[in-house]
Amino acid sequence: MEPATRKLLHSLTALADLGAEISSTHEFDEVMSASLHTMLGTLAMSRGAIARFSSRPLQLKVIAAKGNRILKGEKIVLGREEAEYLASCSRPVGLAEGNGLAGFTSRNGDLMKRLRAGSLAPAVARGELMGVILLSEKFNRESLTEQDLAIIAAIARHIGIAMYNHRLMVSLKRKAEENRRLYRGMRQMYQDTIRAFAAAIDLKDAYTSGHSDRVSRYSEAIAKEMGLTGTELEYIAVAGHLHDIGKIVVDRTIINNPRPLTEPEFLELNKHVTTGYEILSSIGHPWNEIAYMTKCHHERVDGRGYPQGLVGDQIPLGAKIVTLADSFDAMMTDRPYRSRLPLQQALGELQRNTGKQFAREVVLAFCRLLKKEISGEIRSRVLTMTVGRKFEREAVDSMLTSMLAAGDAGNQAMSC
Amino acid sequence: MRRIEIRSKLVENTAILYPGPYLNQLRGEAIENRCLELLSEGVRSVVINFEDTELINSIGVSILIGVIESIHESSGKLLLTNLSESNRELFDVLGLLSQVEIIESEEQALASFRGLTGAALC
Ligand SMILES: [Fe+2]
Repeated sequence: MEPATRKLLHSLTALADLGAEISSTHEFDEVMSASLHTMLGTLAMSRGAIARFSSRPLQLKVIAAKGNRILKGEKIVLGREEAEYLASCSRPVGLAEGNGLAGFTSRNGDLMKRLRAGSLAPAVARGELMGVILLSEKFNRESLTEQDLAIIAAIARHIGIAMYNHRLMVSLKRKAEENRRLYRGMRQMYQDTIRAFAAAIDLKDAYTSGHSDRVSRYSEAIAKEMGLTGTELEYIAVAGHLHDIGKIVVDRTIINNPRPLTEPEFLELNKHVTTGYEILSSIGHPWNEIAYMTKCHHERVDGRGYPQGLVGDQIPLGAKIVTLADSFDAMMTDRPYRSRLPLQQALGELQRNTGKQFAREVVLAFCRLLKKEISGEIRSRVLTMTVGRKFEREAVDSMLTSMLAAGDAGNQAMSC
Repeated sequence: MRRIEIRSKLVENTAILYPGPYLNQLRGEAIENRCLELLSEGVRSVVINFEDTELINSIGVSILIGVIESIHESSGKLLLTNLSESNRELFDVLGLLSQVEIIESEEQALASFRGLTGAALC
């Protein structure tokens, strides 16, 4: 093969390798180091460095280096006019020549000596100076040919584009991260607001501190057990927090009354569902769904609830879940007129009211989750958070087993 | 990071390294590291045997130049052997033939080092 052809082939292969390296998924530092080696190996040079340009502060910083005692991170001083001069250069610049870089060479004399720097190739992309490639003389001390200069310019262009793309990616990543942070902050604020509201509702009732928070957590856990995810799950949790928001306008003496309520008092208290709906539905999408769930949290699947007397699936699933969570928490906490029920007795109430006050599918999901928590199959303790360790474990477990078995039988009967 | 071991042996205080079929970044770095290791252990005669090497890319050339420099700086001596016709042409167009000595075979390289030591002993 003719020497010229051999050399051309070597350079072309180098450019192809470089293209593959630059579009690879390797770390940027690795890409730069491989690019530098490609440049030096193509021209048989022993030393070199790639430095990235920054305009503020005005400097070059070494990001890849080959040769003795040249360190990554080293800074190179560059003047504004020199930077402008380099951005306008389309070819490598000899450092010994009387061009726009005379001051540059003397100012950075020590590094230039260590590099045995002979020339400098600007890496420019879209007319913008991205960095420079400092090159030693050739290993055999011969001077650069026209062809060498063309190859250096071609590889420098590649490196410039790689640096440009990298900078773009870094800034995109930073923006995306900032957006994520803002979004997280907003969500946090939103959740804190809902929690604050819930606490305000509970404050009205001396006996139900933390009630709304627990109802929300029960509801969310049951909904998850039923396979709900995403926003549906989230809305149910919010509805759990805010289900009693209408109580804000109910007279405190009625809420805290330890005696059975009179008929007018009862009607007054029941208004909290429609009032809650009015408050929340004024917020707009997606809150109308949440508003409607709170409106329906005293409905019963047998149609004997209020305010609308809805039946079965006319009641939204989220409301059915909150209804059960609400009653379960009421049974598991002390009230002015009675102390909390033992877990076994509370389960008995749920069982007796399945298909009446409570939807069967919700009771079943509740039982499945409770069984998992009690058996230790799952680590989290949501439904059992107020239960403690003192309960008839075996009795509760066998009760849950029979409730689940009855549920299965019921489901089969329905599918026949 | 992938780590590559390259074949090498020590004969009469001369290290012989075999870059393998393709001298690229990975194999180049392995050779460079092994060379620096040998130099630090006091070895001053190094042979790189290219008998299996079909291809040397630019990165390989760059690293090889680094190796040549390191050996020279430690006052060591490097001989390249068993270069294929095309690899010899490549070294020629890159102007490397004047910077490093190329010898036909590994045996001849060892003999040449032996001669040097003999002369030094006189
Ligand atoms: Fe309520």
